[in-house]
Amino acid sequence: MRALVIIPALNEERNLPQVLASLRRDAPGWDLCVIDDGSADRTAALAREQGATVLRLSQNLGIGGAVQTGYLWAREHGYDVAAQIDGDGQHDPLFLAAALAPITDGQADLVVGSRYLGGEGFRSTAVRRAGIRYLCWFLRLRCGARVTDPTSGFRLAGRRAIALFAASYPSDYPEPEAIALATRNALSVREVPVVMREREHGSSSIGAGDTLYYLVKVSLALLLLPAVRRADPRPA
Amino acid sequence: MTHPLLPLGLQVLACGTLLLFFGWVVYLVRFHRLSLRDSLLWMLSTVAVFVLALFPRLLQALARALAVEVPSNALFALAILYLTLNVLSLTIALSNSTSRTRRLTQECALLRGELEGLRARVDALSPDRKPVGPG
Repeated sequence: MRALVIIPALNEERNLPQVLASLRRDAPGWDLCVIDDGSADRTAALAREQGATVLRLSQNLGIGGAVQTGYLWAREHGYDVAAQIDGDGQHDPLFLAAALAPITDGQADLVVGSRYLGGEGFRSTAVRRAGIRYLCWFLRLRCGARVTDPTSGFRLAGRRAIALFAASYPSDYPEPEAIALATRNALSVREVPVVMREREHGSSSIGAGDTLYYLVKVSLALLLLPAVRRADPRPA
Repeated sequence: MTHPLLPLGLQVLACGTLLLFFGWVVYLVRFHRLSLRDSLLWMLSTVAVFVLALFPRLLQALARALAVEVPSNALFALAILYLTLNVLSLTIALSNSTSRTRRLTQECALLRGELEGLRARVDALSPDRKPVGPG
């Protein structure tokens, strides 16, 4: 089975080397693909030094466009599974093996790593947790998706999910919308418990003041999900 | 016509302005700064307003048909509606263009990734030769 890790990165020269090193150590069977979303620092060069495939976007596309590039690469190269891991060191590659099981068993097309199933580690601020609870509720109401951590960027996609995300992937704040998209297209979504760390350098892409804007934007995106249900995506 | 709807001076000024505007649109199309397809709406609307400026009675009839008392208000309402539709169509075109740019940027990144992979393999095949890649 061929497996790929997609690591979107924007100006992550301080966090990325450790992320890649821990991936090489703890997930040896996985190919690494860093999507450099128009970094101004040495992100791409450092990733190349560590033996990762680097896809440089000539313009900043935002997290959605960057991640989709990874799924396009995975589809093009016939990978059976593609994992998404943030380039800032929040996610521990040790959880990849456990998250892979539901996909290899054929029980899930998309696996999301949830901070809230286990009960350890970094769990974000109270305001954001409230926002996440609201998103869970909204996702369940809108498309019947039962998840506990819809904003988690730790994901594994099987062949059907790779095909879907390569064809269409939301932009701006894509995580909850991608879950809705998968559910809408009759893919099965599972969650596994993961422990997340607080990022070591730099700040999250979403500041505290933007939380409300984030919630409004995502709610609207979920409300206005594509009206036409796409045909059952087949592996390319 | 004891009370002309449009004083002659104003009429001349309006027609002159419209002609200049029309000329500008034609210039933009001829020098490839505006596509013919996008110019059609502008040309049509300019011609329409030109006709109204030449025959103000038409506007009066239009206002009466719409049950608007003052003809100029009918004109303003129609103009605002027209501009709003125009801006919406522009935004649609912009969204379209943004998603195309996204797709192109991704395609470039994928191709560059393939190229780097192939380059590395070619270099590995002939280690004694100068690398194919830049620097």
